[in-house]
Amino acid sequence: MNPNKTTTVLQRTLLSMALLLVALPCAMTQAPAQNRATQPALYTKWINYTAANGFPEGEVYCVTVDGSRVWAGTSHGLVLLEDGRVKKIFSTDDGLAGRAVMSVAVDQQNGDVWIGTFGGLSLYSGGEFKNYTNLTSGLANDLVYGVALQGQFLWVATAAGVNRLDTNTGTWSIFNETNAPFNEPWAYGISVAQQKVYFAVWGGGVLAYDLAKQTWKPFTDPDGEQELVLYRNQGLIHNIVSSVSYNPDTKTFWASTYFGLSGYDGRNWHNYLTKDSGLASNFINAVQSRGDDVWASTQSGLSQLDTNTNTWTTYSRDPKTGRGEILITHADGSKQRIATETSLAHSYILNTAFQGDDIWVATAQGLSHGIHAQPKE
Amino acid sequence: MRTKQCITVLLLAAGGLTVHRATAQAFLPAAPMDKTVMRYANMPPAARPYASFRKPYQEWYVQPDTLEYSGAARSERDGDVATLKTINIGFLGPLDADNEDSPYGVSMLHGAELAVDEVNASGGYRGKPFALAIHDDQALWGASSMAIVDMRFKDQAWAMLGSVDSASTHIELRATLKLELPIMDTATNDPTVTQTLVPWLLHNFPDDRQQGYALADYIFLQRHLKRIGILQVNNRYGRVGKEIFAQTARRIGHPPIVEVWFATDTTDFSSQLQTIKASGVDGLVIWGNAAEAGLILKQMRALGMQQPVFGSSRICSPEVIKIAGSASEGLTVISAINPTRDDPTWTGFQQRFAKRFGVEPDAYAAYAYDGANMLMGSISQAGLNRGLIMDALRGYEMKHYAGVSGSAFFDYTLNNIAPVTFAQIRDGKFAYWPERRTDWKPNDAANAR
Repeated sequence: MNPNKTTTVLQRTLLSMALLLVALPCAMTQAPAQNRATQPALYTKWINYTAANGFPEGEVYCVTVDGSRVWAGTSHGLVLLEDGRVKKIFSTDDGLAGRAVMSVAVDQQNGDVWIGTFGGLSLYSGGEFKNYTNLTSGLANDLVYGVALQGQFLWVATAAGVNRLDTNTGTWSIFNETNAPFNEPWAYGISVAQQKVYFAVWGGGVLAYDLAKQTWKPFTDPDGEQELVLYRNQGLIHNIVSSVSYNPDTKTFWASTYFGLSGYDGRNWHNYLTKDSGLASNFINAVQSRGDDVWASTQSGLSQLDTNTNTWTTYSRDPKTGRGEILITHADGSKQRIATETSLAHSYILNTAFQGDDIWVATAQGLSHGIHAQPKE
Repeated sequence: MRTKQCITVLLLAAGGLTVHRATAQAFLPAAPMDKTVMRYANMPPAARPYASFRKPYQEWYVQPDTLEYSGAARSERDGDVATLKTINIGFLGPLDADNEDSPYGVSMLHGAELAVDEVNASGGYRGKPFALAIHDDQALWGASSMAIVDMRFKDQAWAMLGSVDSASTHIELRATLKLELPIMDTATNDPTVTQTLVPWLLHNFPDDRQQGYALADYIFLQRHLKRIGILQVNNRYGRVGKEIFAQTARRIGHPPIVEVWFATDTTDFSSQLQTIKASGVDGLVIWGNAAEAGLILKQMRALGMQQPVFGSSRICSPEVIKIAGSASEGLTVISAINPTRDDPTWTGFQQRFAKRFGVEPDAYAAYAYDGANMLMGSISQAGLNRGLIMDALRGYEMKHYAGVSGSAFFDYTLNNIAPVTFAQIRDGKFAYWPERRTDWKPNDAANAR
């Protein structure tokens, strides 16, 4: 064998390998640039409901869409909007259980409205309120954070566990650390899926209840430490979970925490922090997901993740000018800023709800209605 | 020449490979962490989770922007002092005699009342007196959850003090994230209340994390004991405290030999003590209350168990000596304060407190007195605006506060991480000394506020 020939072949092989290795990362970094050509559908027009136009002052904790009606839970009661106008503000004087309204669920079968307040649970039916408290019913605690309907059952997230009320029979069930794997009984949010109900638990991660098997499955932070995240996609990013949203389109549940965003598709975890994504803040009050989109209500803006393109879009308000800013973070890390004349009422976001393609946003200083714009090429 | 070119290209290629390695990095052990980096809660280096395994992807609580707040509370209209008779501060503490925590709650209330009276004697807030809106933290779990709602909407409180029970404090903390009422927490031991990134709470009582680290350092590194058993009360106080101590013990190479619990109203500890005796421990840590510890000491000495006993701060009470008598000799516990200090700040408080209430102040009274003063100082500085009061409390971040309880130092989570005090029963009395942990780094005095 000719040693020179051997060297030449070796050199060529090494060179080819090296060029391939150089080329691969370049291809990886260039590929997402194609996404830049497509701008996501944006909300560029906002209509705000604040103290300036008859809406109560202060925080809007939640918003729920019921056809053309919108219910907003505020620090000054429950607001009903019809066709874009404030129709009625319900207070404790009207019979509401508590002034601070944290959650609303509308029964599509009969139009009943269930309201979670800091003062108990209210049912608004036939123009009248009926209240349920810890002393007068099976309600686990009067601090009610979340309500969700699943057929005849009403699920209630409270400061001392989860309730299930059979609205047909009036039978209450309670789930807490004594009969379910609650590390802590402090329930925050509920998301109903077809066969399961997901619960966001402060200090206890996400709990999934299987309706057919009547079993519980906990999803908790696998590193077991409050002060760190060991691996990026290790599992649930943190045990302090503020809300959960199951997306039937992608069969994924998303959990918002004060330490980032987590999604689980049944096989893999997808975790996001501000340092590795376009998320506006790691402190997330709520999450909603539908289609390919995940909406994170953060304390520094409303962040939307398009999971299909890995593009983030964050909406915020310039407190000085009152104008809006849309920050698009593409998958390759490149950023694009768009200014808008109108904006969210405030950048501190507490919750969202969809009305067709439009979005309603609960903020620290009013309710915002985002009008959908068509995507541009 | 060609070979050199190949090597050069390969080196370049290796540079390009970093993209791939970044993806795979999560599966590779990381280099040992830099010992000079800031450690959360002054954690002993050896107690850092996963310290010998890898650098975490993300570490919380050690960045200056740990607590963010971009809500709208600051832009709310200020309270009109002219229309107010009193400047209300909510108080939540266990006060009912049937509640086993009531001795702590009553002390806490007295400490706060003394502070309020003294500030009012100096003019209060712009001539208006501060007043405590007092709520009893009931023993029944969750029964006090509406207290903060009432403070915010009925009492029109500008801030609140409380509580002792960690579950109640957590409930208040969750609620205040929505209600935006600043909380000065002066009595819970639970370290998780300042681990939530909720910026509305300042905490000054030495927590279980600080106590656990100090005890582990003392037992394993200074007393050189190796086989430790743990006996804990089965409530949240016992569970959280025990776990931090046990975790630290495991990480420094001395996993507890046996961990046993008892119910809150237990008086006969024979079954637990037999288990511990059979395990052959050379020391016992009790995480519980003074009365229980007194009985445990008495019963364990009667069983012939002469091992040294250590305990959490709630055991540091004359009650343990009263119950156990000579069986308590040598007991070493954490103390939240050093009541034998002779500086005028402490002795003056001691005298004023004893004159007003007829008893000596304890740690719960001292921290409540300091906390109430910090709160009233923050209200005076910020005005009647809850968002600005929160900002004023957050002004203590990475700062000292010299109070009657000693010198506090608040980290980025607004938790007091100052060194704790040890107390040992010698000749029927507690003898005190400051914690001398080798890894403790005194904080810069220039940060003093």
